[in-house]
Amino acid sequence: MNTPAVVRTPGQRLRSDLWRHRHFYLFISPFFILFALFGLYPLLFSLYLSFVKWDGMTAMHWVGLANFRSMLDDEILRRALVNTLLIGLLYVPPMMIMAFLFAQLLNLQWLKMRALYRAAFFLPCVTPMAVIAVVFGLIFSAEKGVLNYALLQLNHLLPFLHLQPIPWLTSENWSKVAVAILVVWRWTGYNMVLMLAGLQGIPADYYEAAMVDGANTLQRMRHITLPLMRPTFRFCGVLSLLGTIYMFDEIFVLTSGGPGTSSTNLGLYLFNISFNDFRFGYASCVGYTVATVVFIGTLIVSRRSRQETGVA
Amino acid sequence: MQTQRNLPLQRTIGRALLTIALTLLALLFIFPFYWLLLSAFKTQAQIFTMPPQWLPHPATVRNFVDLYRETNLPRALLNSIINSGGHVLLALFLCSLAGYAFAKYPQAPGHGKLFAFVLGTMMIPGAVTLIPTFLVMVKLHWINTYWAMIIPGAAGAFGIFWMRQYIAANVPDDLIHAARIDGCSEFGIYYRIVLPIAKPALAALGIMQLISSWNNLMWAFIVLRTADMLTLPVVIYLLQGEMRTPYGMLMAGGLLTTLPLVLAFLLFQKQFISGITAGAIKQ
Repeated sequence: MNTPAVVRTPGQRLRSDLWRHRHFYLFISPFFILFALFGLYPLLFSLYLSFVKWDGMTAMHWVGLANFRSMLDDEILRRALVNTLLIGLLYVPPMMIMAFLFAQLLNLQWLKMRALYRAAFFLPCVTPMAVIAVVFGLIFSAEKGVLNYALLQLNHLLPFLHLQPIPWLTSENWSKVAVAILVVWRWTGYNMVLMLAGLQGIPADYYEAAMVDGANTLQRMRHITLPLMRPTFRFCGVLSLLGTIYMFDEIFVLTSGGPGTSSTNLGLYLFNISFNDFRFGYASCVGYTVATVVFIGTLIVSRRSRQETGVA
Repeated sequence: MQTQRNLPLQRTIGRALLTIALTLLALLFIFPFYWLLLSAFKTQAQIFTMPPQWLPHPATVRNFVDLYRETNLPRALLNSIINSGGHVLLALFLCSLAGYAFAKYPQAPGHGKLFAFVLGTMMIPGAVTLIPTFLVMVKLHWINTYWAMIIPGAAGAFGIFWMRQYIAANVPDDLIHAARIDGCSEFGIYYRIVLPIAKPALAALGIMQLISSWNNLMWAFIVLRTADMLTLPVVIYLLQGEMRTPYGMLMAGGLLTTLPLVLAFLLFQKQFISGITAGAIKQ
């Protein structure tokens, strides 16, 4: 092992170890170079920007905590927070329920052409939002849209429902619903695919054993499927949380955050104060604060999930 | 006994109903694509007819002609192909190279910590780094260039993780040792042995990168400035006017933007979905 003639210090050994693995460092170096330029430096610079006032052109002014204080009286930020919450509440429950339902159905062995159904539900999340949101704009059109046309036809059939055309994109309340519908359409298939993978990861013996013990469909769902799907549900939940907060394309193209600021979420608001108002300092401050809160939130969720799996 | 005899019939009816319900839902999900396809062949007046025309009569190709004459669409298509193509190729190269390194040099000092660091960078939200990354683009004089669309994010943590998992599981160490004994260089091993074996993983990563870069709207909107550099999604977005939007043209352009992706997805559906679920299983 050791050649007695040469006594090497730990430093020398490390150096020769590094040299021997130079290809390893060479091969991973592009990641670190790109990360330094487009990840680490922006992350640090953004932190610095949180304490300055700057429009990107004139001189920077150090303002200390003034940006953080401005956040407290920022009426639009507060509204963006509320909108983010409302849009999330509007779309996450129906999306998750539908995704789980679809995943269950596509997991049925007797169902034919499952790949075709999966493709149909999944296709929305590979399409360019810049295009599809405009199509939805047509569908949501108040007087000439297909959706309101369908509502009117339904009203002819079932007059007691008193259905009326809905101002999807021109009403402060309905604009959030329109965004939620678009998001459900776009992301249900994605969650369905994740849940399908989760369902297929449950060992078949569990169900067989339960059947032998005489458990019915509902009992198998309650005692096998739901508990074992919990990690998948949590992963989908975290993705949705991040997706709701940083959502941009959907809202930017469909409503531009309007009417007024009625459908402006945090993602769009961040974009607006950055690249419409050029308040680089303030925008960095808001971005950092939001990201920190979200980071702590996801950390708590994942810690709890680790505890749960530890107990189980 | 009664229930037992009825069971197959009940089951058949139940299955038929479920299939019908699922088919209707699938059609509902497809409907916006149908509407896009339809509207591309309608005039502005036909698009806004009430009751709606479920098939365009007469169908017109006028929108495509107008699009060709009045916008820079061919150029935008070329830009999109250059940006997405360049990004995908670079990402495949850098991610597979780093993935190979992380899979097959476990003895390198700092290996574990460096890999943990790579994974940790996935936690950084793009919203925080957006402004400074834009400023870096300004400093590098990359605003309104292909570089701004191709380079950032080309060596993404997810891609490296994805390639590492595949290479670690599918490339036998013996093969690498044998090649090394035969005098193959380390890069030669990567190029001649690892890459051919990793083709399925490359296809999955490629399709994921293609979809995200082809659809990219926000970053393209920020860094691209002049008409000759814009990509398809930005051109489509900008067609929406303050006063009057040429919806027919927009739908025609939208169709041309969407079709390549739909085709790519249908061809590589399996790989794409395996890539997405890999992210979930990691958690």
